[in-house]
Amino acid sequence: MKIIVFIRQIVNPQVKLQGVDYFDTSRISEDDLIINPFDKNALEGALKLKDSESAEVTAICVGGIKPSKAVREAIAMGCNDAVEVVDDNYYLEDPMILAKIYSKIVEKIGDVDLIFTGCEEQSSSSYAVPAMLAELLDIPSVLYAEEIEKTVDRFRISHVLEGGRKIVEMPMRGLISCTDSQYFVPRYTSMRGILTSKRAQIPQWSNEDLKLDEATVCENAASLTVSSFSNIVIEKDSYILKEEEPDEMVDKLLAKLKEDNIKLGV
Amino acid sequence: MKILVFAQIRDDKIEENTLGILNKVNEVFKDSEISASLFGSNIKEEWIKQLGVHGAKKVYTIDVPELEYYLSRPNVKALSKVIDEIQPTIIIAAGTVYGEDLLPRVAIRRGVSCAQRITDITKEGEEILFYTPVRDDQAMKVQKITGDIKFVTTRTGAFFVNENPTGEEPEVISVDITFEEKDLLVKHVEIKKAEVTVNLKDAKVIVAGGRGVGGKDQFAILKELASILGGQIGATRACTDMNWVEETYEIGQTGQSVSPDVYIAAGISGAPQHISGIKAKTLIAINTDEGAAIFNYADYGIIGDLHIILPLLKQKISD
Ligand SMILES: Cc1cc2nc3c(=O)[nH]c(=O)nc-3n(C[C@H](O)[C@H](O)[C@H](O)COP(=O)(O)OP(=O)(O)OC[C@H]3O[C@@H](n4cnc5c(N)ncnc54)[C@H](O)[C@@H]3O)c2cc1C
Repeated sequence: MKIIVFIRQIVNPQVKLQGVDYFDTSRISEDDLIINPFDKNALEGALKLKDSESAEVTAICVGGIKPSKAVREAIAMGCNDAVEVVDDNYYLEDPMILAKIYSKIVEKIGDVDLIFTGCEEQSSSSYAVPAMLAELLDIPSVLYAEEIEKTVDRFRISHVLEGGRKIVEMPMRGLISCTDSQYFVPRYTSMRGILTSKRAQIPQWSNEDLKLDEATVCENAASLTVSSFSNIVIEKDSYILKEEEPDEMVDKLLAKLKEDNIKLGV
Repeated sequence: MKILVFAQIRDDKIEENTLGILNKVNEVFKDSEISASLFGSNIKEEWIKQLGVHGAKKVYTIDVPELEYYLSRPNVKALSKVIDEIQPTIIIAAGTVYGEDLLPRVAIRRGVSCAQRITDITKEGEEILFYTPVRDDQAMKVQKITGDIKFVTTRTGAFFVNENPTGEEPEVISVDITFEEKDLLVKHVEIKKAEVTVNLKDAKVIVAGGRGVGGKDQFAILKELASILGGQIGATRACTDMNWVEETYEIGQTGQSVSPDVYIAAGISGAPQHISGIKAKTLIAINTDEGAAIFNYADYGIIGDLHIILPLLKQKISD
């Protein structure tokens, strides 16, 4: 079974950069770069199948400030190999364009059985890529998966649903997008994995390799364009306590609530 | 201009976000023709009426057994068919699991993208703008969609339902469809509905816990605090997924929507899907991580360990 996991590198949401500054790549260091958390859930989903079905898992990172960090972590987690795809002309803000690039990668690799992705990209709230990719490839897909069970020749997948959860069955060739449910909690990197990842040869592809028509993947090709991007001004003054004795903080909180006429109980 | 709203059903009724969208598009696009699509098996008369009352002039129905349960492919085909009939400029759906599954698919099949999780939409002259909050609601990305057809999903909870709708009986257009084997490769097995045994809608105080609570037993302190305050406990999906508390306590997009006076969020990171179910007058956050998104929404907060803070809070309130 051949599996591809698409991962993206993002700036750690815990970095102390507020609002639009968070997206200003000149302000961050390598330490701030992480694999999009939901994509780590996707890696876990694929690696579980590697454990049980001896699947071959390839992690692919398109774009990112230092994609080599992301793909090496993916290998350290247990992926067999990885590819970095970087091309300055690619416009990755539009999910449609990213989906087109992913689709070409799947085609280039060939004979792919399963594709895993995270269900969304944190901080940018972009969730559309997996759905678009499944359509471009014309393959069965299940999004927002919470658990995967293999039956004889199909996957039985439980996914998020308003008011509960839903179970569906999918053929064993297709695409699955993963949430951060218990089932997909990512494994830690092992010492052996880290050593392997250090030695791994990681191919770097650009459009020379993918040969997409540049006019369809550059900024001009975007159908979703940014008209303005600005901070949301929050008017309320929050009262946040920190770095004091717990006892003092609780006293202060209760006093402040009283002062503001906020009744805690009913 | 024509607008098509992809209507969805939840709990045997038209889902609230769909009604909120109808209200919003009627407000923003006054002179437009607003239609809704409604797919299913045994579609109810009252659903169609409800869509009309909330502002859909026409309802395009596809009523076939294959659409009894939502599955991507059959719905892609169904929505594409209705779009072919209407030729709308905007196709909009609530950002539920189904809405987010469907719209990007239909969009890319027409070679266009999709605006995601919008909380506002405006029209100035010919220009239509879509507003998506990002970075835990600290920044607003305003986007345009080029071309004649625009696909959009909203963030759940973003738009209000009109309490006094004045729409009329809509014109109903029934659309035919046939499916092939390859449209039905993914099969519905079952829906496991969360059993709602406790109604949190009317709770005035909610003490909610997240993954930071750490386990089933550790929820005891939240229950004790809630009981002293005369309120209820609540939880994130992470907790119900791990069976730390019953599913009925899940709050958010896929759980219950709540509007208490006081919401205490302990060990909750503040994911948009959780936040979208909360309309609290006062939100108090307790979290060890100063950078947690929950502090963007908090009126009060303590950066600290809930296992220390909550017992202290309980003790001091009881005194
Ligand atoms: C389609 C979809 C729908 C969803 N619908 C919902 C929904 O309706 N409701 C919902 O809740 N989720 C929903 N989710 C899941 C959501 O995306 C998040 O995964 C979930 O809300 C996270 O829960 P959490 O905050 O408990 O966990 P985490 O995000 O893991 O956060 C745990 C927090 O606890 C803090 N913490 C850890 N230890 C301590 C301590 N000792 N003291 C204090 N703080 C501590 C950490 O700093 C962290 O901020 C949905 C997801 C999807 C994909």
